[in-house]
Amino acid sequence: MMDSYLHWQPVIVITLINVMLTCGLYVTAMSGQLSLATAAIAGIGGYTAAVLTTNFGWPFLPATAIAVLAGALVGTFVAAVTVKMREFILKLTTLAFGEAVAVLAFNIDYIGGANSFTGIPFYSNIWVVIGGTAIAIYLARRFDGSRLGLAARAVRDDPLAASAMGVSILWTRIVTFALGGAIVGAGGSIQAHYLLILNPHELGFFISLTYIIFLLVGGMQSLWGPLLAAVVLTALPEISRFLADYRMILYGFVIVLVVLFRPEGLLTRAPTRTASRRPAGPPPGRTQAARARSL
Amino acid sequence: MDLFLQQLVNGLMIGSTYAVVAIGFALVFTVLRVINFAHPDIFVLGMFTGLLAAVHLSDNLLVVAACGALGAALFGLVLERVVLRPLRERDVLMTLIGTLGVAIMLQNGMAKLMGPDPVAFPPVVPVTLLLSERIIVTSTQALNFGISILLLIAVSFYVRKTRFGRATRAIAERPDVAAAFGVDVNLVSQVTVVIASAMAGVAGVSVGMLYGSAWAFNGLLYGLKAFVCMLVAGNRYFEGVILVALALGVIEALVTGYISSSYRDVAAFVILIGVLYFRPNGLFGSYAV
Repeated sequence: MMDSYLHWQPVIVITLINVMLTCGLYVTAMSGQLSLATAAIAGIGGYTAAVLTTNFGWPFLPATAIAVLAGALVGTFVAAVTVKMREFILKLTTLAFGEAVAVLAFNIDYIGGANSFTGIPFYSNIWVVIGGTAIAIYLARRFDGSRLGLAARAVRDDPLAASAMGVSILWTRIVTFALGGAIVGAGGSIQAHYLLILNPHELGFFISLTYIIFLLVGGMQSLWGPLLAAVVLTALPEISRFLADYRMILYGFVIVLVVLFRPEGLLTRAPTRTASRRPAGPPPGRTQAARARSL
Repeated sequence: MDLFLQQLVNGLMIGSTYAVVAIGFALVFTVLRVINFAHPDIFVLGMFTGLLAAVHLSDNLLVVAACGALGAALFGLVLERVVLRPLRERDVLMTLIGTLGVAIMLQNGMAKLMGPDPVAFPPVVPVTLLLSERIIVTSTQALNFGISILLLIAVSFYVRKTRFGRATRAIAERPDVAAAFGVDVNLVSQVTVVIASAMAGVAGVSVGMLYGSAWAFNGLLYGLKAFVCMLVAGNRYFEGVILVALALGVIEALVTGYISSSYRDVAAFVILIGVLYFRPNGLFGSYAV
């Protein structure tokens, strides 16, 4: 029993950290705009906290608090810069931003540059990870049901109508991006103090894409969908280790299947689904009456 | 001056390959409104089918290139029918995730079949130095450049001068109106993906010969760069994409030569951020998405 726990512990920790980062991305995406720079913001949080604990001997919690602040600041910055951009261009700008951060980390020698930042002390034991994840889920849940969360959903569904009702698009964007960035920054700090190494390659677009995969495969309509996807898709390559070289093929296959057959994601809200299934056009009774009138 | 000329030549060589991959991206995105992230891996698939042909079939350049094109085109055909067609009309990001799933399968499938490490590409053409006085150009470099330019001229002719090309541009402008005027959108989409894949396959063979090796994960390097080229140029003029790709190759080579190779990859994204900020539709304009 103990052996199997030791074997599964890293899988559980990585899964929980992914759940945390996905929570952050979910909050960011609630105002309708996705950030393609999750890994970069997590990296900023991670590097900030790791420099404080490693080079300045700070304790873990204050360092993580600064990482949270850094994540929120970066989120605010990205939201403010991109608020007037069209949807597709905004996504691309966040992509370019993420890549730029990765390249920057690559070239700053103080944080190790291409050789990675190493020597980070170990703080993220399983309880820290569970605690962090619980707080992230709680925050995301609270935000989901709050007035601000509803305002964000309104902006997502129809920005024009929302702003006509007095919802400020700029402020909802900034709040969602800042809160999402804060959660992602904390996740980055916890991740750095678990893996004990930070590599600039882990900040790039392709790593950010894995969180987008969790979000879209899970479905953006509720928090539980993305979290389910984060758990399943992180654990899948580990659980299917007996399949050896075929497991990544299986991973790709699962993603393709979900995208093709569950366009709204794994978990959807029942009312929206029944509404979309109702056939379009006038009910049959009225068309008969119309036909009768025309005769 | 010699360094400048040498880097200019090197840049044009790599840029021409960016251009072929980027054009494939742009063609598929323009017609299907799908970001096909499996495209760079189709390029690698062509590289491997060419390699297999060179090992088992014949070391004739034409046979190898044709096999590369055929393997890639067949995969493109199946991909269009099974994955890309249902993805049309979907959110752009969803198409990206779906094709990324295909890309993961393709990369790891090829790594499973051909081994996870780079494989030697048999020398189909002898490597010789062409200009050794001041700048160095090898025969495989020149061949790679020549093949890319031929492919680009061919695709430009196809888009501008043929009936299918006109249908392609009509769908790019307004898919619904094109369909109303009798354009078979499904057929044109299929032909587009097959052409883009076949081109990528030939380019894959030529890059395999250039570096003398083929690797299942080669596509990653070209994928993001080609995507950036398409965004920077905008997809309205394919010639613009070609120009930007060549320019990006040259800029990267100059950055490598004069500053440092670790800053090479910055160039693409600095240019992307700048262009997105000042001209969100790309330098030469885009079709509405």
